[in-house]
Amino acid sequence: MLAGCATVDRKPAVPLTGDIMIDGPNAIENGPERDRVLWQYRTAAAAMRRGEFELAKRYLDDALLTLGGIYGPNESARKARSLFRPESTKTFVGEPYERAMAYFYRGILYWMDGEPDNARACFRSALFEDAGTEEERYAADYALFEYLEGLTSVKLGEDGSDAFERAVKASRLSQLPPYDPKANVLFLIEFGIGPTKYATGQYGEQLRFRENPSAPRTAAVTVGDQKLTAGACDDLYFQATTRGGRVMDHVLGNKAVFKSTTSTLGDVGIISGAVLAGHRGRNSAADEVGVGLLAAGLISKLFSSATTPAADTRTWDNLARYLTFAFLSLPPGEHAVTVEFMDAGGRLIPSLTKNITVNVPVGRDKIVFVSDRSTTPQTL
Amino acid sequence: MTSHKTLKSWTMINSRLPLTSVVLAALVAGCASSGVRNPSGVPVTEMRADERGFVAGTGIESQDIVRVTDKMAREILSIPQIANAQGTPRIVLDPIKNDTRFPINKDIFLTRIRAQLNSKAQGKVLFLARDRMGTLEREQQLKRSGQVTSSSDPNVVEFRGADFFLTGTLQGLPTRTGAGISDYVLYTFQLIDARTSDIIWEGFDEIKKQGLEDAAYR
Repeated sequence: MLAGCATVDRKPAVPLTGDIMIDGPNAIENGPERDRVLWQYRTAAAAMRRGEFELAKRYLDDALLTLGGIYGPNESARKARSLFRPESTKTFVGEPYERAMAYFYRGILYWMDGEPDNARACFRSALFEDAGTEEERYAADYALFEYLEGLTSVKLGEDGSDAFERAVKASRLSQLPPYDPKANVLFLIEFGIGPTKYATGQYGEQLRFRENPSAPRTAAVTVGDQKLTAGACDDLYFQATTRGGRVMDHVLGNKAVFKSTTSTLGDVGIISGAVLAGHRGRNSAADEVGVGLLAAGLISKLFSSATTPAADTRTWDNLARYLTFAFLSLPPGEHAVTVEFMDAGGRLIPSLTKNITVNVPVGRDKIVFVSDRSTTPQTL
Repeated sequence: MTSHKTLKSWTMINSRLPLTSVVLAALVAGCASSGVRNPSGVPVTEMRADERGFVAGTGIESQDIVRVTDKMAREILSIPQIANAQGTPRIVLDPIKNDTRFPINKDIFLTRIRAQLNSKAQGKVLFLARDRMGTLEREQQLKRSGQVTSSSDPNVVEFRGADFFLTGTLQGLPTRTGAGISDYVLYTFQLIDARTSDIIWEGFDEIKKQGLEDAAYR
């Protein structure tokens, strides 16, 4: 009965093939509604790396609509807070670093379409998702998003100096170059494996982030005789782990205390009840009290077993870990570009090298998205 | 005695049963009451564009667009350069700037103002279809080459120049604290004299929205 109550979304999870471009659309269409945004995020990221930008746009737009509408009463979120439903009951929108990345990807796509003001809006929203941290110094501290907000302003003929200053202040991993208004080709590059979530604590009520080993640490863009090396500007593992506690952590902590207490009370009731009922005559008051304690203990155990304090560990699991950029000036036309990735020792990782044919348009900036997981070769 | 004892025991157990039943019932009722709201979904509901729907965020929504563009259209019609103009002023739309944190189809603002003015201004202003220049020029070329007929001399340039440019800017100020989020958006629109660059009119509206997500998302 209790297990039945815990079931909220009647749609079962779809069988997975391991191919995101099959599993993603299938899960979005036929899977549980609560996981829809998760699969939209994952599929959009995979589509970006294959150069299928229209598909990525479609999924991100829908996901961001859900993300933008989570204010106020929300039935699935209310259930996720209840004692007898797991946190994963709620509609997934992701932790702040995941939400920020959804806006970041959408911003890239707007910019590709020649809409730098909407791109800027997305970079601002990405930063906004990271606001409200426990420690103020970690709030909205993505150096790249700040930098791109300023760069889009410069491209719109506005002043980007404030955003540049904020970007420099937020930058922990690399030194940011000043804006070059003449640079017309911008490479937005990601590499490494993003953080994954796991649950710890007695009942898995504490959400934690796992740092995954990432071989690439820098990227190099080569076009003709020009070669630019770019170190990471932002680290998503750092971003995931510097926000401080969530309000939901307190809710889950309370659930865990309830589960533990009712379990202990149940044990006490059952043992005491059994002892009292078993050691006295059947007509004694102790016998009756014992039966009562036994029943109360059983009910308490039922409550305990039905309580679900487990943290939601659904993860946007195909995110990169590091974000960076490189920009240069190229004449309009077709250019052969090589993007290479190097490890911490500066050694080339040949298996990650990407060959891209970039078509630079006349009178407009060219935005090129490259991931160490991008398909190669690509024509963009 | 034995039967009496048994009866007494059962009586005691039975007297506890209501309590147990109540607890179980509360548990069951608790589960039932937290059942899915609208399990069959909500039928498609047609709403007015100017009303706040049941799906709402803190971003720019249809009711904001309707409110702002209605206000701007009314103000434009009342300015002396339009109301008392000799001849019909020609206006060209210049894309507005989005300086908020919300990605939007910004053309929708000017499109609605234009539609409002075209439908309600009774010819007091005319808009030039600059966004269709490619098509218009192709048609002119066809006429000039004699491939299609022409009711006037196709070699005479009749494309009109603008008297005014209508444009605008959306600016935002977002705030996020533990108490929730707040988004203020300032909408400003200008009518610019194409000859002198004078801003002959500027109208604005401002909308502030606040919200707080469920604790499960905080």
